[in-house]
Amino acid sequence: MKTTLRYFFLPLIISALIIFSSFPGDLPATVNFPYKKAGLTERQAAAHLLSRFTYGARPGDIDALVKMGLEKWFFQQLKGDLPDQSLKARLQNYDAINLSNNEVSRLFPNNGQVIRMAIKDGLIHKDSIQADKKAYRDQILSYMTQNGYRPQAELYRQLINQKILRAAYSHNQMRELLTDFWFNHFNVSLTKGQSAEFVPAYERDVIRPNVFGSFESLVLATAKSPAMLTYLDNFSSSGSPESLPQTANPALQRRLAAQRAANVTDSSIKARVPAKLQQNRKIQGLNENYAREVMELHTLGVDGGYTQADVTQAARVLTGWTVYPMENGYASALKNTLDKIGEQNLAKRGFVHEGDFLFAANRHDTGEKTVMGRHFPANGGYEEGVQLLEMLANHPSAANFISRKIAIRFVSDDPSPKIVNKMTTTFIKTKGDISKVLTAMVSSPEFWSKDALREKTKSPFELAISAVRALNADIGQPYQLYNWINRMGQKIYSYQAPTGFPDRGQYWINTGSLLNRMNFGLALASQRIPGVKVNLAALNNNREPESSGTALMTYGRVIMPERDLSETIDRLKPMLNDPLLQKKIEDAALKNSPPEEKPQPGEADPQMTDAGRSKPVKRTGLKDPSKMTNNQASNTVLAQVVGVILGSPEFQRK
Amino acid sequence: MISRKAFLKAGGLALFGISVGGIPTFLAEAASLVQAPGLFKRKKILVSIFQRGAMDGLMAVTPFGDKYLQAARPGLMMSAAKAGNAKPLIDLDGRFGLHPSMEAFERMFREKRLAIVHGMGSPNNSRSHFDAQDYMESGTPFSKGTPSGWLNRAVGLLGHEATPFQAVSLTSSMPRSFYGDMPSVAISNLQDFAIQMKGNPTGTSRVSQSFEDLYDQTASGLLKQTGKESFDAIKMLQKADIKNYKPANNAVYPNTALGNSLRQIAQLIKMDVGLEVAFAESGGWDTHFNQGKETGIFARNVSDLSNSIMAFWTDMDAYQDDLTVMTMTEFGRTVKQNGTGGTDHGRASCNFILGNGVNGGLVHGDVQPLALENLEDGRDLAVTTDFRSVFGEVAGRHLLINNNKILFPGFKGGSIGVMKGS
Repeated sequence: MKTTLRYFFLPLIISALIIFSSFPGDLPATVNFPYKKAGLTERQAAAHLLSRFTYGARPGDIDALVKMGLEKWFFQQLKGDLPDQSLKARLQNYDAINLSNNEVSRLFPNNGQVIRMAIKDGLIHKDSIQADKKAYRDQILSYMTQNGYRPQAELYRQLINQKILRAAYSHNQMRELLTDFWFNHFNVSLTKGQSAEFVPAYERDVIRPNVFGSFESLVLATAKSPAMLTYLDNFSSSGSPESLPQTANPALQRRLAAQRAANVTDSSIKARVPAKLQQNRKIQGLNENYAREVMELHTLGVDGGYTQADVTQAARVLTGWTVYPMENGYASALKNTLDKIGEQNLAKRGFVHEGDFLFAANRHDTGEKTVMGRHFPANGGYEEGVQLLEMLANHPSAANFISRKIAIRFVSDDPSPKIVNKMTTTFIKTKGDISKVLTAMVSSPEFWSKDALREKTKSPFELAISAVRALNADIGQPYQLYNWINRMGQKIYSYQAPTGFPDRGQYWINTGSLLNRMNFGLALASQRIPGVKVNLAALNNNREPESSGTALMTYGRVIMPERDLSETIDRLKPMLNDPLLQKKIEDAALKNSPPEEKPQPGEADPQMTDAGRSKPVKRTGLKDPSKMTNNQASNTVLAQVVGVILGSPEFQRK
Repeated sequence: MISRKAFLKAGGLALFGISVGGIPTFLAEAASLVQAPGLFKRKKILVSIFQRGAMDGLMAVTPFGDKYLQAARPGLMMSAAKAGNAKPLIDLDGRFGLHPSMEAFERMFREKRLAIVHGMGSPNNSRSHFDAQDYMESGTPFSKGTPSGWLNRAVGLLGHEATPFQAVSLTSSMPRSFYGDMPSVAISNLQDFAIQMKGNPTGTSRVSQSFEDLYDQTASGLLKQTGKESFDAIKMLQKADIKNYKPANNAVYPNTALGNSLRQIAQLIKMDVGLEVAFAESGGWDTHFNQGKETGIFARNVSDLSNSIMAFWTDMDAYQDDLTVMTMTEFGRTVKQNGTGGTDHGRASCNFILGNGVNGGLVHGDVQPLALENLEDGRDLAVTTDFRSVFGEVAGRHLLINNNKILFPGFKGGSIGVMKGS
C-alpha cells in the first residue's frame, strides 16, 4: 500500500518540481521536452510544436524555432506578450473592436431600437413602416447617419476581421489559439441578438487576458460578463417572490404576507400576485440555464457528479447576477430601481456594481441552499455565488474534464488517459493554473508520441489561416476569408449551442465541407479570393519550377515542412512517369495555345518596343503579350499545384 | 522527361486520370446492403421547413368567429364572408379560416392530405427567437446544452446504412436541428458541389482527378472515405444537369429562397441519392410592423410558403407516397395587435403537415375561445399541444422510428393522431 502510494506520488512530485521551478522566469532550465525519447528529431519536434501552438508554420518558422530552442519558444509564447506592431497597424482602422459595451450599445443600436427611436423622434410615422420599401430604408439609414448610429453588421464584421488578422499575423500565436479555445469552451454566439453586441468586449476583456491564468478566474469572469449573462439568461433569473429580501418590494411582500395570513385558497388570486410582481418588475423567476451549463459544460462535465436538484440550488445561488443597465436605456426598469437607491447606497443594500456586472440584491434568493453537499447559509448574497463558482472551478471533476478538453484540442481527438491524468494532477495541485497544465502536457512523452503527430484535423478556420500563413499571403479583406471559412462549415462566433464547436475531425469533415476545402485551396492559390494576395514565385525565390514534379516537391516542402510527403508525391509519380504523358501534354499544349502568341521579331523587349517604335501597337497592357501569356500560364499551373497541395488530405491535418 | 515549356503550357498536373464511370460507389454499397427482392427499396423522406421569426398562427389559420380575436385585432382581422374586393378567408371547417394567400393549400386540405395543428408550441415559455428556436431544434425545451438536434437524432434512429446525402440542409450553414454525430450536409446551392476553377474546364477536371487520387490513397480513413463520397457525389450531380432542371407536371417554384431550396430537394430526391431527411428555411415572419391583411408582408410570406410547398408536391408527383412535408415555427404572436400594425412575440402557433400518410382535412389541437382567462400569461394563444408530440408522431409514423426517449429525451407525452393509423 505504502509503496503504491509512493509510486503514485512520485510523478506528481517530479512534475510539481518541474512546474514550480519554471515560473515566471524566461527559460526554466529544468524543462526539457521529451521528444527525443519519442523518436523525433529536433526539427520534427519543432514542426509539431508549431502545429499545436500556432495557426500554422510560415516559411522559415521551423528554422527560427530550432535556433531559439523549443523550450524557450514555448515559455515565451506562454507569456504571450511579444510586441505586435505590424498586427496593430493592420488593426488600426478597426475602431469598434476597442469600444466598451456601453459605447457599443450606444453606437450600434439594433434595427428594432433604431425604428423605435426614429418613431419617438418623430422622424417616421409608425403607420408608414414598411420593412421592404427602399425609400423607407433610406430614411432609416439617413436617420442613423444623422445621429451617429452605425449598423450592427459593421460591428460584427470588425470582430470577425480582427480574429482573422490576429490569427494570421500575431506573434503571440499561443495566446490567440487559447483565446479561440476558451471562447469556444465558454461559448457565446452572435446568433442570439440579446448577447451579440457584448461579444467583442467578451473576447477582448473576459477571455483573451485570462487565457493563461487560473481557470477559476475565467469561470468568474465569464459568469459576470454581459455576453454570458444574456446568452444563458442568468441576467433575468430571480428568486421566487417569497425568497426575495423584504426590502426588494415592500408593498408586494406585505400583500403576500397578508395572503398567507388569510390562508387564501382561491388559486387564481394566489397565482395572480406573483404574476403581478413579475409584470411590474419584468422579472421571470428562476432561470436555470446558466447554472446547468456552468456545471455541465464549463466545469464538471455531464457526468461530473451533480444532480438536477444541484442545478436548481445553484441557480438559486446565482439569482441576482445580472447586467448593469447600459446607458442606451436597456433594462430601464432596473435602472429606475438603481437610480432610486443611488450608487452610493448600493453596497449598503447588498448590491455589487463592478463595471458591466451587477449583483441585484433585490432579485437574490435569500434562502439557504445546498449544492453538491456544500451548504450555503441564508443571506449569503453575492459572496455565495463566488464561492459556488470557485468550488465548481476547483472540483476534481472539473480538473479532469478541463484537462481532457485541453488535451483533445492540443494533443489528439482521443488523448491517452496517461497524459490527461498528469494534467489533472497538475490542475489540482496548482488550483487550475492553466499555463502549468499546458506545461505538464508538453512535458509528457505522450504529447510527442508519433500517434499524436498530425492526428488532429484542422478546423475550417485553422485550415484557412494555416494556408494564408504557409503562403505568406497578405490579407487586405479578411471578410473574404470568413466567407470561405463559413462555407467550409465553421461560422465563427455563430455556433448556436453553448457547447461550442465540437473539436473532432468527424465533425469538420463531411462530403460538402471537404469539397469546399479543396476549392478554397485552389481559390487562394490562384488569387481568386479578392483582397488576399499571394506571391507563389516569391516562396521559391522567384524561380520557376521545371516540371509538375519539381513544383509539387518544392512547394510541398515549403507548405508542409517536416512532413512525410511521400504519400502526396508518390501517388502522382506513376502519372508523371506515364510514357504517354509527354504526348498528352504536347497535344494539350497545341490545342490550348492561343493564336498569335508567338513573339514577333523586334517585340521581344517591351521597353525597347515602347521607346523605339513610332507606330503604336495595340496591346492589352504595357507588357509584352507573349510574356504575359507565359506568366498567366505559369501562374495557372503553379496555382493548380499549390491549390492541390492546400486541398490535399495531408494539409487538412495538423 | 517533361520539358518546362510543355509543363507551363499544358498545366502541370495534366491529364492524370482516367474518368470513372458507373454509379457512385456509395450508392452501389448502399444498394448492396438492401436485401432482395427490390434492389432499391425507396425510402421515406421527411422534409422539414423552419419558419424563422415566429409565424402568426392566428392570421394563418384564423378562428374567424372568435369575437375576442375580432376585438383584439381591429386592424388585422379578416372575414370568411365575401365583402367587397378583398379576398375572404378560406373557410376550412366552419370555425377556422385559411389565409386567402394560401389558397394553394385548400385542395390539399379538402383531399385530406394536409393537416393543421393549432395551438402548438413549446412548454418553455421563452419568447426569445433564439431560445425558442434553439429549444425546438434541439428538441429539449429546458436544456440548452443538448449537443445534438432532433433531426440528427432522427437520422441516427433510422438504423440503416446511409449515403452521404441521407440528411441534407439547403442552408449555408448547419442548422441546429442537424447538429450532432450523424453525418449531414449543409449546402445552399447544389451547383456549388463541384471543383471550381472559373473559366478553366480542363484545369478543373485535371485538378479534380488529382484530388480524387490523393484522397483515394490517404492514410486517414476519415479523409479517404469522405473524399471518395465527395467525388462520387460530384460525378452524380454532373450527370444530373442541375442547372437545366425541368420540374414535372409544369410545377412552378416561386423564385424565392424557400422555392429554390425545395426545388433542389426535389432534384436530390429524383436522383435517388438516398435522401431521407431534408431541411429548409423560410424567413421574414417576425411581423412587428405593418403585418398587413389580404396583402402585405404576411400575405406574401404565406403565399411563398404555400406555393413553394405546392410546387414541390406537384413536381414530386411520382414520389408522393414517400413524402411528408412539415413546417414549424418557434412560437406564435400576441392575440392583440400592437401599436405599429403588427403583432409581438407570443406563445402558440400552428403548423402544416402534408403527405398521403397524414390524417388530413382537419385542424388538430385545442384552441379555446380567446377570452382573457384562456390566454397564456393573459396575452397569448395558449400552448395546448407540445411540438414534440407532433414532431415525434410525424417522424415516428413516416420514418418508422420509434424511440421517443432518444428523439425527445425526457418527454413523456404521446401522439395526437395527426398521422393515419396513429
